[in-house]
Formats: sequence, structure tokens, C-alpha cells
Amino acid sequence: MTRLTACILCLAACRVAAEPSAIAIRGARIVPVSGPPIASGTVVIRDGLIQAVGESVAVPPGAWVIEGKDLTVYPGLIDALSTLGIPDAAPPPSGGGRPGAAPAPVPTPPATPATPPARGPEDRPSTTSWLNAADLIKPTDNRIERFRSAGFTSAVTFPNKGIFAGQGAVINLAGEKAGQMVVAAPVGQYVTLTTGGFSSFPGSLMGVIAYIRQVYLDAGHYQAERAAYQANPRGKARPEYDRALEGILGSQRMLLPATRQVEISRMIRFSRELKQHAILYGAHEGYRSAGELKTSGLPVLVSLKWPEKKKDADPEEIESYRTLEVRDRAPSTPAELAKSQVKFAFYSDGIENPRDVIANVKKAIDAGLSAEDALRALTLSAAEIYGVADRLGSIEKGKIANLIVTVGDLFQEKPQVQFIFIDGVKFEPVPELAPASPPATGGVQ
Amino acid sequence: MILKMLFSNAVALACALAAAPTVIQNATVLTVTKGTVKNGSILIRDGKIAEVGEKVVIPAGAKVIEAGGQFVMPGIIDCHSHIAAESINEGSVSVSSMVGIEDVLNSEDISIYRALAGGVTTANILHGSANAIGGKCTVIKMRWGKNAQELIFEGSTPGIKFALGENPKRSGAVANMLGTGRTARYPATRMGVEDVIREAFLEAKQYQASWREYREKMARGEDALPPRRDLKLDPLVEVLVGKRFVHAHCYRADEILMLLRVADEFGFKIRTLQHVLEGYKVAKEIAAHGAGASTFSDWWAYKMEAYDAIPFNAAIMVRKGVVVSLNSDDAELMRRLNTEAAKTMKYGGLTEDEALALITINPAKQLAIDSRVGSIEPGKDADLVVFDKHPLSNYAKVQKVLIDGDTYFDRDTDAGEHAQKDARKKALLDKEKAKPKEDQKKAAPSGARRPS
Amino acid sequence: MRKLALALLAVGALAFAADSYLIRGVTIHPVTQPDIPDGSILIQDGKIAALGAKVAAPRGVQVIDGKGLHAYPGMIDSATEIGVSEVGSVRETNDTGELGDFNPQLRIGIAFNPASEHIPVTRANGITSVITMPGGGGRGSTGVITGQAALMHLDGWTPEDMAVSRSAAMQMVFPIIRTSNFRFPEGLTHTPYAEAKRAYDKRLREMSEFFEQARRYQQAKAAHDPGFKENLKYEAMLPVLEGKLPVMVIAERERAIREAIAFADKQKIRIVLAGIREPGKSLADLKAKNIPVIAGPTLDLPLEEDDSYDAAFSFPGELYKAGIQFAFGTFNTAFSRNLPYQAAAAVAFGLPREEAIKAVTINAARIWGAGDLIGSLEKGKWADVMLTDGDPLEARTQVKRVWIRGKEVDLSNKQTRLYEKYLNRP
Repeated sequence: MTRLTACILCLAACRVAAEPSAIAIRGARIVPVSGPPIASGTVVIRDGLIQAVGESVAVPPGAWVIEGKDLTVYPGLIDALSTLGIPDAAPPPSGGGRPGAAPAPVPTPPATPATPPARGPEDRPSTTSWLNAADLIKPTDNRIERFRSAGFTSAVTFPNKGIFAGQGAVINLAGEKAGQMVVAAPVGQYVTLTTGGFSSFPGSLMGVIAYIRQVYLDAGHYQAERAAYQANPRGKARPEYDRALEGILGSQRMLLPATRQVEISRMIRFSRELKQHAILYGAHEGYRSAGELKTSGLPVLVSLKWPEKKKDADPEEIESYRTLEVRDRAPSTPAELAKSQVKFAFYSDGIENPRDVIANVKKAIDAGLSAEDALRALTLSAAEIYGVADRLGSIEKGKIANLIVTVGDLFQEKPQVQFIFIDGVKFEPVPELAPASPPATGGVQ
Repeated sequence: MILKMLFSNAVALACALAAAPTVIQNATVLTVTKGTVKNGSILIRDGKIAEVGEKVVIPAGAKVIEAGGQFVMPGIIDCHSHIAAESINEGSVSVSSMVGIEDVLNSEDISIYRALAGGVTTANILHGSANAIGGKCTVIKMRWGKNAQELIFEGSTPGIKFALGENPKRSGAVANMLGTGRTARYPATRMGVEDVIREAFLEAKQYQASWREYREKMARGEDALPPRRDLKLDPLVEVLVGKRFVHAHCYRADEILMLLRVADEFGFKIRTLQHVLEGYKVAKEIAAHGAGASTFSDWWAYKMEAYDAIPFNAAIMVRKGVVVSLNSDDAELMRRLNTEAAKTMKYGGLTEDEALALITINPAKQLAIDSRVGSIEPGKDADLVVFDKHPLSNYAKVQKVLIDGDTYFDRDTDAGEHAQKDARKKALLDKEKAKPKEDQKKAAPSGARRPS
Repeated sequence: MRKLALALLAVGALAFAADSYLIRGVTIHPVTQPDIPDGSILIQDGKIAALGAKVAAPRGVQVIDGKGLHAYPGMIDSATEIGVSEVGSVRETNDTGELGDFNPQLRIGIAFNPASEHIPVTRANGITSVITMPGGGGRGSTGVITGQAALMHLDGWTPEDMAVSRSAAMQMVFPIIRTSNFRFPEGLTHTPYAEAKRAYDKRLREMSEFFEQARRYQQAKAAHDPGFKENLKYEAMLPVLEGKLPVMVIAERERAIREAIAFADKQKIRIVLAGIREPGKSLADLKAKNIPVIAGPTLDLPLEEDDSYDAAFSFPGELYKAGIQFAFGTFNTAFSRNLPYQAAAAVAFGLPREEAIKAVTINAARIWGAGDLIGSLEKGKWADVMLTDGDPLEARTQVKRVWIRGKEVDLSNKQTRLYEKYLNRP
């Protein structure tokens, strides 16, 4: 009983109650990402925004001052593809369209009711393109606090079921109401290559691809038909309203899964054919495709769930050279992408403990990625990919005050996040979870 | 347009790579179409066969492949394969013409290398047989190491798979669905299979007409919206106008006849009948329609509709004027189509050249790529296989395979490359084994610091 | 009436003549002895009565000019479903894979269909005997002991006529630790190793218990225990326990092979390992313990992506180099006739040709306990003979005539009949 009360109290306490007019972090090391690090400078936060940043910035009168000696200020981290804030969604999908790699079948609300098998593209199978993540956000998602505590201040979150799962939203990982959390929406259509099983269309990878192609053709036709009807409805048959196509037409970019090299090549070609702005996600064999990706100009979201040996595998199982190589080399993908100047960001891909997410970024650093490039991928690059770099991703005047303050370097062995600012509101990290048993709420002991 | 550009790029690249001419010398050259040249040589320039004969002058700087005592034949062509694709069947619908193998080509399928090692240089990669009208097919060359787009046989006519008989009607069997949670799918009979094809082509004709109407309106300067593009019907219209080949999986004589008649009714051609195990019963009708037949050497009795299959099928059809090929439909059998061809000498008495034609020039004709491949003639692609013994011998082994004049398989280097890969694999395994220990070492100091 | 009587007489005369043949001027390949160019073979009373450079023609014998032809012993396919499987996909025509895990009492010999169309088709290519397995080669079989395999001649009126050995081996499908399963329509499903291992260990315990029970039964029976009750399953195990009947163990990879050998050691049973593809380190064990092997289908893909492309083709050559006694099996029905091409592929990839011939003839006969009856051309053996116009391992070669137990068999079959019928279709 007392424990429960303490929990509730603590939950409330974690968010600093009275908000001062301004906050200044003074004399800290500042890593703005958009420019060179400042060895000792000041960041001023007011009304949720960064009011000023620099070596010699005056602290406004009445500001709440945080002495920044021994502290480093970074932009808040962004999980570039997740389901954070949509608690009923499955752990975020892993890249690639292969069966087995598909996420656990937990339906995203509103779940499509059991339907008879689809008999073709006209049935719009596995499609909820009209869903908007912004409409699905629940601030009560217990994962939010966990990720925030590790330094994630924003996430790009998506409904994740089906071929056209729906539209994503950039959200801040704090807020009492869903509406407060949304930074930008919609930001893109999340596409997977999941099949409907043998007896429902599409039942194969090529079926899914054909379906996507048909939907884009239909969307173009629908648009033309609708425009013609709007211009002169008299004497014309009224085009049928198609929410699936409405969702497609409202999407400014599509996210396509591409983990292996052949998938990367395939999806580059496909996005070109569809003439859509695409983002590829997965990219574990990106180390083999850096040149091709560079040429394509497509941005890439690299899954941080590096391939691992199955823990419950048969000890006498013979794994292929390809499997072993990918396991060894996947973490070198970010370094290769950076070298080839491919724009990329990171995503957590269902890793439950955000500390493991950071630990896996470190593996990429161990495999040759510079700490600067790693940080950029976790901040400004993610914001750029989704077109929100004008408000997120770096410590610049006028941007949203999403910051993290650490003791020592973010990528050291045991990172110590001291404070987190989201929309200028200060949070303190909750203690780390006991492994293996994520608590139902808060995660406070 | 883009496709065309890609092709010309690929060709340019190939030319650049194959700049130095190559000569294969002192071999028995089995040209298939122009007889056998004992102690012959082949000059390859820019990926093409430049000269074949007993006396070929070796140009300065040419790469010479000494093939004394060995046999060279044209690269083997498999008119029915399912390798190098990440999905085969879109089994959910009776007409799945909207899907295509080209979308899912997998250039890293090890079956490509294995097929090469069996002398195959070209294959028709087909959709599966779960549907009366199946998906689109693609002809590829076994350019192992190249990407998926580079596998595609430039300029080859795309195909579409049809399937008759037991497979497409299986999903209609209500009894098969009991307890599976699935519902039966039309058709359940051979009559239904015919109906599905006729319905689809009727729809395709109407679709074709709607586009024609649209184009006419546009030509007259009238305001018109284009009809909805239907990816299911587009390929059928291409079939109607002869731009896409029908490769039809079939077994029994009655259904073969049925399909020929449906094609006649709608005014298109069946390019090849696949499997066509009872083709020998209606060889006359097949020849009259002009369909090719791509069959197995000796498969039978694996299902009811294969119970009347006979190994003399290929020979009878050849004798009755059908262009016949032998196919594999199987990643394993694909590697030894040469000895499959040899069986037609035993069963039905084909000559050596007739037998070799079944896996070279005939499938090339069936796929309309015979101006490029299928025999050893000047001007054709240098797709060649070097065997240590006569390829119709069961003791023969492939020594070298060239595609576009480049060596893609060499038995002499295969073992060495394999050993190197094994060594790299062992290094990776050792590295992974060493890792947990490393992690333990790392973890130790922090563990020591834990407050007691 | 007179005509009929004459016809009957003619048939009688033919039947008489059919009992004995002298094949002259033929190249004889006895397999167990050096080849005899331009030799003769005398077939009498179902047996090879004589063979050599010169054999006198007894009176009334049918003389056959074998000029340009080759005489080989009929070939033996050491793993088939012939006689118990007619049309692969039609369940009603298949009699393999009985329900239940331990079925030593099941006997192929009683379910063998002598009228199967596969019999004349197969023997037309010179295969004169086959092992027919009750467990369907172990693929898709769920049982452990699937029943008794029979060695059958491919000619006869009844299964009783046809049996060289009604019980040639007890078939066992060695269990494997199955971490991945293919189920329709879900596709590939993964079972954690620990769970699969538990199921496997349980299965091994059941196997040991079954053998223990059978042994107790054997002891009770021998001791004339008053409480002894006859039991068909354990009764069928007695020849196995007594070492009279080998167990044909289907095991493909190293672990199964290793564990099968260990199991055989523990149970003190004689085994023949069949379908082996990747023995790994246990190859040495096979040699040390003199365990004969039926090589897995040679015309097959490598098991692993990283295996050499010719792994399956070159495997028989490796068995030979390791000094292991082996024979070939097709593990099939419709492709049994292609047995010789399996052997030829092995020759192309390293097996000496004479060893390949042995592996489709005498080795198989010896492994199945019929080495003194069939498998070579030797005086006193059953006259299972084929005459060919060339090397029987080559597909181009025609098999001209075949004798089984001294009776010349008809080489026509369903397929040749359809051929003739439709070749002549107007």
C-alpha cells in the first residue's frame, strides 16, 4: 500500500511541478549537433523553446539556473521508427518482409474485424492507410517514461499492422494529453510486406508488391476522377469514396522495409517506379549497399536490433556463411553509410530496454562509426528525414527545447542522463528497470 | 525507357569487361544446329561467338582456354524453373496475373550457382501452378554475382503462367479445407478451370476495348478520363496482342486440347505447354496450334494426372512436329538436364543432336531467344559449357561455363574458392565463440564494484 | 478345336524352352570376377548353371546370340516403395507410414501389390530386385520402428513368389531434434532447442524401453515362464535381438548417425544405416564398426547452403575411400529405374566405376543377406541377368533382355504400350 502511494507520488514528482519562466543551463559543455561543440556555454529555455545558446549568453533574470560544470547538453534523442505512445501496438516491426520477421500479431486499434479472405487488390487487404498515429496516441503508454529516461525525447511512431499500416506522427515523449505530444503529423505511410497467408490475397511477397503497385495506380486514378467530378459533377457517375486511397493520397512519404541487399536494391527500384518519396528501414546489409543507397538518394532508418544468434538454437545447427557474416557486419552498416554520405537515422525496432538501444549504438561506434555521426543519426538526421529539422534535432535558437543533460559522454560505458527536457519541461530519469520484468506502470521502485 | 537504358548500360559494361578476345581450342564442339566440329575452336569477341571451326586464328592478346579432349556445347536452357525467386505462388486467387517473378528475383539464391555448375546458362523463371491464370514470368541468365536486374535476359519476351488440372482445382476441394479454417476457392473441376480462363479473357477484351475507346476519344480531342489501370488485366491484354507468352502447366490430353481451343476462341497463342505429360496423345493438335512443349524426361505416377506419363513423350512429340524441350521444374534436376536429354535417345530413339536440341535450341525457340542463344554459331551470345566427356554421358562433368564470354563457373577454381569460404566461415565462428569471453572480461570489473 | 490344341502345345513347348537358355558370344560382367569377353551363360532351372569362355549347349536349350551385348547381374535398388505405393499423391494407393510409433510386426511382404505398374516399368531398365520399405524412407514418417522391409524380385504372380526375403530388415527411422517444422499454412515454425531436445530425449527413452520390454519378453519366452503371454510386437523383435535380422536405420546427418550407432552398440543389434548424407566425424565409426550403408539419394542437392555444389554426387566416392561397404538406393518409386544414373553420377565425381557397379549389385545383395543368391553372375546363383547394348550406368544404353530367377521377363509395360498406341495414332 505505502509502496503504491510512493509510486504515484513519485510519478507526479518526476515532472517538476512549478514551471519557472526560464531555465538556464550555465557553463556546460554543449553539443548542438548542428554546429561544433561548445566547451563551456549556456542554453536558455523559455516557453518550451530554446531561447538562446552560445558561449556567452546572458542568463535572463529570474531564470532557474542549472550549473553546468561537468555536464554535457545534447539535443534529445529521436527514435526514428517506433510504436511509442501506441501501447496496444506490437513491439515495433523488424525490417524485411520475410515471414518470421513479422511482428507478433497484436492488433493496432481499431483492429480490423475478422474478414473473409481477400480476393484481390479491390478488397484493400491488410490496409489501414487512413489510420493516423496522432489519433492513437495514449500518454499512458508505460514505455514512454522508460525511453525518456534513457534520453529519448521524441519518437516517430506508427500504427504497425498490415501492408499499409497507417500514417506516422512525430511525438514528444512527454505530455498529459495526446494532443500536446504531437509535434508533426502525418509524416509518412508505414508499409510492410506482410502476407495474408496462402488463401487470402496477397499471399506472397510478389502479391504484396503487386498490391502496393495497384493501390498507387488506383490512388492516381481516384484523384483524377475525383477532380473531374468536383469540377463538373453534372451528368457524371459519382466516384466512390475510398478511405484506403484517401490515406495514400494524404501520405507525403512511404516507409519501405529493406534489410538484405537484394531487398534494398528491390525497394530502391520500387520507390523509383512508384515515384514516391521513400525511406528504407531495416538495412542490416546496408554495409554491402552503401554505394547503391548513396546513388538512390534515399534516406535509411537502421534497425538497432542487430541480428543475434538464436538463444534457443540447436547447438549442432549449421548456420550459413551469409548469416554469420551479417551478424558480424551489420553493426558496421552505419559506419559504411556515413562514409558514403547516406542520410540515416536509428530506430529501436522493438528493443524493450532503451539502455540496450544505446548499447547497440555503441556497437556501431565500435564498428567504425564516429560518435558525432552516431549522435547526428539519433537527432538531427532523424528530424531531417521526416522534415521536422526546423523544430527538432539540434540545439538551436527557436527550436523545441528537447534536451538531455548528462554527466560525461552520452556514449560512455554507463551513460548517466541527469535531466531530460521536453518542450522545456524538466524530467529526471527514473531508475533503470530490473531486467526481464518490465513493470506495468512507471517503473519506479 | 529506364529499362532500356539499364540494358544498354549492362551491355556496355559487358563489352568493356570482355574486351580481350577469348579462344576455346582443341575441343569437340557440339554446335547443335551446325553439326559437330572435332578438334574445333571457338573465338569469342565482345561476349559473342565470333568464329567456330577447325581453323580459327587466335588473335594477339587473346585469352586461350585449352580444351583438348573436352566437349563444348551451347549453354543449357531450362524452360521451367523456380529458382532465384523469393516467392513462387500467389495462391489466394484463381487469376493472379497481377503478380510477377521479376519483382522478387533473388540474385543471391545459391541455386543459381548450382545450376551454373550443371551447365545451365538461361532459365525461364515461372510463377507456380496454384492458379488457372498465374503470375508473370521472367527469363534470366545465370549471371551469378550480378544483381537481380542484371540477371534478366535483355530483350526477352516476358511470359505468364497458366495452370490446368489438379493443382488449380485443388484449392476448390471442400474436403481439403476441412479443419484448416480456409474456404474453398473456385474452381474445383477442369470445367471450372476453363471457365476461369474464359471469364478472365472476356474481361480482358472488355478492358482492352475501354482503353481503345479512351484513346479514340483522346484522338478526337474529346475530354476523357483514362480507364482504371488493372494490373490483373494488363498482362492478359499483352497476351492478346502477342507481347506476352503463355506458358501453361498441363497434364492430361483433354485439358491440353481445351486450352488450345480457348486460345483459338480468343485469338491468342499458347507459346509453351509445360509438363504436358500426355502431350503424346494430342501431339498432332499441339503441332497444329504451333505450341511448344516443355516436358520432363521420365517423371510419372507422382499424381493421378501423371499416371499415363511416358518417357517416350518427348520423342513422340518431336516426331510429330512439335518443338520440344526438357525442363527441370526443380533446383536439383536443373543441374543435370544433359543426362535427362540422353534418356530421350533410350526412350524413343532421338539422335544426339535431337537430344541436345531439347535443352538448347528448342527451349531457345520456345522463349524466342534463339537468335541470341541455343546453339554455337557466329553472332550468338558466347554462352558455352565445357564438359570433360560427351554431355550425353552420365559420366560427364561440367568444367567451365561462360555467359556472354565471361567465365561464371570453373571447376578448377571452385574447390579453392570453396575452401577459402570455409576458412572465412571458420574465422567468423571463432570470432563469435571468443566474444562471450570478452564480454565477461568487460563485465567483471563492474561486477566487482557492486556494493555488498 | 485342333487349332486350340496346337496352340496349347506350342505354349507348352515355349514354357519348356523358357526354362533354359544359353547366351552365347556375350561380354560377361560377373562383378565378383573379372569380365569374360565373348563368353557364354547357361541358365537352367532358374539358376546360372554355368558361365565361362566356353559352355556346352545342352539339348533343348534356347540359344541366344549375345554378340555385341553385355551381360550383367540384375540391379538391386536398396530403398524403394515399389509395390506399396502406386500414385504418390493419392493416399488410397499408398500403404506406407502406418499409425503408431513401434510397429515391428508390420510386414511389407503381405501388402506388396504384384500387379503394380511400377514393377514392369522398373525392371525394364534392368532392376530385378528392390528393397521395399514400410516407413516410406523416413521422410514425413512419425513412427520409430515402421515395420519389416522386404527384398522383392520384380517378377512373379504373388508376393510370395516374388520375395527373395520377406523380411530383409527391420526399418527404423531414427528420431531427430526438430527445431523447425513446416506446417501448412503457417509455414516454418521454430521450436526452442530445449523443448525439442526434451521431446527427443523422451523418444529415445521410449525406444530403449521398447527394446528392454522386447528383451524381457525374449527371456520370459526362453525360460518358458508360466506367465508368458504372446505379443506380436515383441515376437517380431526376436530376430532383431538375436542378431539375425539387421535394422535398417534411416539417419541423415551426423548427430542422428552418431546416436544411432550408440543405440545399436547399447542394444547390441546389427544395423544398416540408410539415407546417410552428412556423417561428419562418424564416418570413421562406420568403418571401425563395419556398419554397411545405403547412400542417401545421390542425385540430390547439398544439405547446406555452404556445402560444395557436388556434395551429394561425391559422397559415395568418400564412402568408398573410407572403406565402407555401401549400396545405392533411390528412396523412391517412380525413379527406381534411374538407380544406375545415381551410380554413374557418383562415378563422375570420384567413385571408381567397378565400385559403382558393385554398389547396385553384389554389395546390396550382401548387405541384405542375399549375397549367395543374387547380385553377381556366378554359378549356382539365381539367374537375375540383363543383356544390354552398352554400359548399364549410361542412360543411352538399352536394356535388351532380362531374366529373373531364370525366367525371361516381358520388358513391355504400361508405358511402352501407350508409346506404341499413340505413336501410331492416325
